[in-house]
Amino acid sequence: MLRASAAAEKAGIPSSSLVCEGFIGQACTTSVGLGLPNLPVALVPGHVGTQNAEELADNILSVTLHDVISNLTEPPAQVLTTADPAPRDIIFSGDLDEINRLFLDNEWSDGLPIIPPTTERVEAFLFFTDRDPDEILAVLLPDSRSATVWSVAVNGVMAGCRPEYMPVLVTLIEAMGDPDYGVEHSGNTPGGETLITVNGPLASQLRFNNEQGVLRDGFQPNTAVGRFWRLALRNLAGFLLHKNDKCTFGNTWRVVMAENEEVLKKIGWPTVAQDLGIAKDRSSVSIARYTGSDLIASATGDTGKKILPYLADAVLKQNTWQLVFTIGTSPGTLRPLLVLSPILAETLAKDGWSKADVRQYLYDHCRLPAWQFERYLGEWTDHPINDLKDEVGLRRAPKVFAESDDRERMVPITFNPNDFMVAVSGDPLRTNAITFAHNGILGYTVAREIDLPKDWEAKLRTVR
Amino acid sequence: MLRNTDTYDVVWPRAARQMEIAPAARRHDTLEGKTVAQLWDYLFRGDEVFDHLERGLKERYPTIKFVSWRDFGSTHGADERQVLAELPSKMEALGVDAVISGMGC
Repeated sequence: MLRASAAAEKAGIPSSSLVCEGFIGQACTTSVGLGLPNLPVALVPGHVGTQNAEELADNILSVTLHDVISNLTEPPAQVLTTADPAPRDIIFSGDLDEINRLFLDNEWSDGLPIIPPTTERVEAFLFFTDRDPDEILAVLLPDSRSATVWSVAVNGVMAGCRPEYMPVLVTLIEAMGDPDYGVEHSGNTPGGETLITVNGPLASQLRFNNEQGVLRDGFQPNTAVGRFWRLALRNLAGFLLHKNDKCTFGNTWRVVMAENEEVLKKIGWPTVAQDLGIAKDRSSVSIARYTGSDLIASATGDTGKKILPYLADAVLKQNTWQLVFTIGTSPGTLRPLLVLSPILAETLAKDGWSKADVRQYLYDHCRLPAWQFERYLGEWTDHPINDLKDEVGLRRAPKVFAESDDRERMVPITFNPNDFMVAVSGDPLRTNAITFAHNGILGYTVAREIDLPKDWEAKLRTVR
Repeated sequence: MLRNTDTYDVVWPRAARQMEIAPAARRHDTLEGKTVAQLWDYLFRGDEVFDHLERGLKERYPTIKFVSWRDFGSTHGADERQVLAELPSKMEALGVDAVISGMGC
């Protein structure tokens, strides 16, 4: 909404942005990152979602209308901006407590103690990349900050990463800057959190946990790289709580997942990375944003027919408002994730199921009545869509959503079977699974291959 | 209280801002006779809000004109980048003088 206003202002056309009361602060900080720190906003009192028709009309005509007129006819107030320090400037000298206090006071930290980012420590990280420290990896909204190799190393130090994680960190920031991922949405109100998956030989070389407790803190690479991601969103992109990170509730960063590639090889299933276009046996990271997850306990059975109905039922139930990413906000961008424990994947494979078969099963069986899908869109999430058939007619949805006029007809929750992501990780000998509710274009699933520096093996030996 | 008294010289943890600060567009003396575009992200009752604003502005400026949000498509979604990239030329073609953009909620 503000990005549209900024595009108009830059084209020489004055704008007025309609902003609900709780979002005025976010609008002010976001407009700075758009290069228009005085972008005028018109106040919409309260939140439109809870107002009846009369209240809404009264608020718009008594408050918002006046602001719109002044936004379009009166020059915006001038705004002063301050200069940033240079990357290598020493900004402070002090002991551990003083530095942590400084970082907290300036919103550079997440509330936990940080490792002080000294030049010496940053240089140790730079040893593990051939990239120029000043190279800009991505320009990240909302602040339009240029994430450099140097700034990645600084935040890696702070997060408690080891220097040899640097190739992973650099690749993650490139992935964060991928337009398909949509980092600019990371301050939205649902407050989804990114799940990072590491694949390839580097995952085991850096000792990422891929077995029991894979998503719990306790293993340094999984935990520290997860924390790095959240610090990077704060310091490199500019998402700050009570400013432009407007998650209603939010949650802590997700611990990084690694897949059990030994088992995947054994059963002949591709990795998540391969599903996303990464060549076999190449190291990579993949990212996607999810608002929630739920464990599926004790999915017992010796065949797919016994196991999969239970899993499909859980995947379906995890996706409610997120269906706006199938039809609505961003058609065809919902990619639900199902993580199978190795023993479940092995049991399915032994019964003759390929991963493609599992995805097809989920597509065929994660279905709900058309009327219920329409209720999520039109009635419950206030999208201007009341009939799936209209969306098919407008070519915004495939024909499978309009196979009859029967409102009880069962429709899928994704456009294609391959929209379902299936990973293998966790306790090798426990028959549990976990499913994640994806946020479509508000954190679309993307993968990036990791480039290693020359003499990687020799460099790694210096710290082992 | 025990303190770690080693001294550390630390660098700035943020990345530098890349965006040049641009001036806001020149404002109009009046909205009388002006063409106002409605841009909407298809969320939070913007259709109703635009109806109210249109009515209120027309009462105050009888010759004001509007280009409906229906003519632009959603400014938030999978097509956002394309919609915004095409916005300047589309506004020029439609003779747009001012923009009201919603809904930030």
